[in-house]
Amino acid sequence: MPTLGRRLHIPAVLALTSTLILTGCASGTAGNTSSGDSANQNLTMAIAGANVFDGHLDIHKTQIDSSILILRNVFDSLVDIDSDGNVVPWLADSWEISEDGLRYTFTLRDNVTFHDGEKFNAEAVKLNLEHVVDPKTESASALSKLGGDKIFAGAEVIDDYTVVLKLNSPFAPLLQNLSSAQLGFYSPKVLNEHRSDLSAGGSGITVGTGPFVVSEITPGQNVVLTRNDAYNWPSKAATHSGPAALETLTINVLPESSVRVGALNSGEAQVAAELPPSAVSEVGSDATVNSVQSPGIPYSLYLNDGFGVFADENVRKGFRSSLDIDAAVKTIFFGEYDRAWSILSPTTPQVYDSSLENSWKFDPDAANKFFDDAGWTERDGDGYRVKDGLRLAATWIAWTPVSDENQSLANAFQGNLKDVGFELIRETLEPAQYNEKYEPRTFDLTDWSYDGLDGDILRNHLHSEGFQNVSTVVRPDIDALLEKAVTTTDINERASLYKDVQQWNNDFVSIIPVYVPAVITAQSKNVEGLTFGPTGQPQFYGASLK
Amino acid sequence: MTRLGARILGLAVVIWGAITLAFFALKLVPGDPVDVMLGPHSQVGPEERALIRTDLGLDGPLWQQYVTYLGRVLRGDLGMSYQLRKPVVEVIGAQLGATIQLTIASLLFVAVFLALGLFIARTPSLRGLLGIVELVAVSAPVFWTGLMLLAVFSFGLNWFPVSGSQGLPSLILPALTIAIPVSAVIGQVLRRGIETAEEHPFVETVRARGVGPTRLLTHHTLRHATNGTLALGAYVAGSLVGGAVLVESIFGRSGIGRVALTAILARDLPVVLGVVLLVAFVFVVINAIVDAASGLIDPRLTRATVGRAS
Repeated sequence: MPTLGRRLHIPAVLALTSTLILTGCASGTAGNTSSGDSANQNLTMAIAGANVFDGHLDIHKTQIDSSILILRNVFDSLVDIDSDGNVVPWLADSWEISEDGLRYTFTLRDNVTFHDGEKFNAEAVKLNLEHVVDPKTESASALSKLGGDKIFAGAEVIDDYTVVLKLNSPFAPLLQNLSSAQLGFYSPKVLNEHRSDLSAGGSGITVGTGPFVVSEITPGQNVVLTRNDAYNWPSKAATHSGPAALETLTINVLPESSVRVGALNSGEAQVAAELPPSAVSEVGSDATVNSVQSPGIPYSLYLNDGFGVFADENVRKGFRSSLDIDAAVKTIFFGEYDRAWSILSPTTPQVYDSSLENSWKFDPDAANKFFDDAGWTERDGDGYRVKDGLRLAATWIAWTPVSDENQSLANAFQGNLKDVGFELIRETLEPAQYNEKYEPRTFDLTDWSYDGLDGDILRNHLHSEGFQNVSTVVRPDIDALLEKAVTTTDINERASLYKDVQQWNNDFVSIIPVYVPAVITAQSKNVEGLTFGPTGQPQFYGASLK
Repeated sequence: MTRLGARILGLAVVIWGAITLAFFALKLVPGDPVDVMLGPHSQVGPEERALIRTDLGLDGPLWQQYVTYLGRVLRGDLGMSYQLRKPVVEVIGAQLGATIQLTIASLLFVAVFLALGLFIARTPSLRGLLGIVELVAVSAPVFWTGLMLLAVFSFGLNWFPVSGSQGLPSLILPALTIAIPVSAVIGQVLRRGIETAEEHPFVETVRARGVGPTRLLTHHTLRHATNGTLALGAYVAGSLVGGAVLVESIFGRSGIGRVALTAILARDLPVVLGVVLLVAFVFVVINAIVDAASGLIDPRLTRATVGRAS
């Protein structure tokens, strides 16, 4: 043995390693060919996933886009929105709104069943809406879509297939909002038996009426959906009918965008979703890229008017004039995202004020003048402006994780501001620490974009009692505009009210819009019939593989 | 019997210490679990928030929360996750399989790499080259290694699937990503140990008996060098249980690492403490095994203990 050692052991070790590698190759290749086979209808989508598996799989509770991306395929809504922005029937055949705008009567389809065989009826609608309103659900998005617990007064069952949604005061966005996945419907059986498990989700728990059934959830890894063979109740906006064409839809969570694109290019996934602009150039030539600008509030900087230096209008104006937004957005997003001009994005139906485009410009001289006028005339050793011994500075709190692009943007703005003697201090905080400053509003500015199909999202952000009033704006005139807009049913009148708010913000400089984010999805050539919802998310009901 | 008793007592003390440290560390850093859970876009008012806090047992004084928690752990109840509202045992249990697979596969690769390194190192002229390879492997960030392996073997050659849900083949790249830096670190220590052993006079005696380099390694110098390496290996194996978070997110795998990270960020105390408990337990068990193994590999240790005991 010892004498053989030298000759035998190295090959033995090599043989062991190569066996391991070869086993891997063999089965790896086998897996790939099966997914590329034209005969099967098993599609894989790679998504970023955020933290969907950490208790964000309850459709009524979640405020995470990735949850909607997954669950839209599992849950249907009362109504849908077609490509022209009109509200069309889905689980409701028809509806009637009372004169005073306080009662919405829906006539439901009578042939709809949940994945577990339960019947969809007025009682199911009532039970679901009660679940949304229940404080124990901790609903963020779904509840605000109903108008919040102050406006929404509950549902009333008239007969098996007629239900009335009651309001305390008119809420114009309601019908449109009812089209969102967050107001989808759980099987009554699930709401009665598995209420506490909904956040974690799972097969037999995440049960809706949609074209796909949740058959497996592996936390941190993937969600497997299978076709609902009984499905026969698509929305009027759908171009497909009957059950979905795909047999299975596997949604793999791959947080790294380059890995998602790699999976698409190598054929392991057929759709790569939630892509950043930088990933578009990596997408191979045999795939197509779809980009839909998000409706709602663009990515913006929210200046806290009620806290520090931004209480002074001249400082806010000087701050804005010193930002070279055009240059920053162009270089950082490779031309994939447009620079934003208004606090509503161009794709928000009917309400965008295009007159704000080019309404102000990057102008360091003007910025210097604004700061001088505000009394920040002296400079310290580092070149920053000072007044009464204090440096002109603002603290920007950012919620982690921060994308590379948004970090570059912040760096660019820091540079712009340093040129005019303004120190921008950036604090990148993990969620818990962010809240410590966010809740008492002890910061100068923060940033986000906020999706929404209706101008009413401005009420959350700019009304003195808005739950997201980051700027701590207290303006009775703006409150009045926003309150009037939410109760007015005439679409033109509403549009004009929201335009007033957009213009007011442009003069007052409370929120500085920066860029219009887009939902970017890449799909390989063999995917057909993929459609995109009003907020740009891919929908698989009509999709097939060729 | 007393040695077993001492071991169990030691285990209890280590786990108690780990839990206590983690508990107070998490309570000391700012951030409220309920606020994080609800997010900045939530409309839930202060009264409802207070209700949720009461519901989760977060309203009492700190010491009371601590005592309640310890009491529950003693009864074998790790509590419920704040975020998922599921028993911690279930949350961790669901991820444990993936972590065990990855850890075992990584350790197998480490063993293979170490063996390979040892046989190469028998030729002194190749040792310099090996040292350079080790240095590169140690310095390369896991993140980079993982993406490079994916770029070459998954995207380029199409040999392995990208994501971690497809059985054995999907285990190989993540395991390699972990094994490369780990085997380089352990390899360096092991080789230095062997070099030190080779300086001992007994090596000359062994060689003079006509023993070849392989037997010299396997029967003599390796045994001398193994102890430090084993201790290091035990540490690495233990940290893999909770520390593979980067690899898990690159390859889209489930696992304890990601559970731990998100739980810490969300201040989901019961889950964090559950992971700490698990990792502490694994450390203690592995160390016990290593202690026993060291005695077998290096009889000097056992004799010394016996000598002291008598």
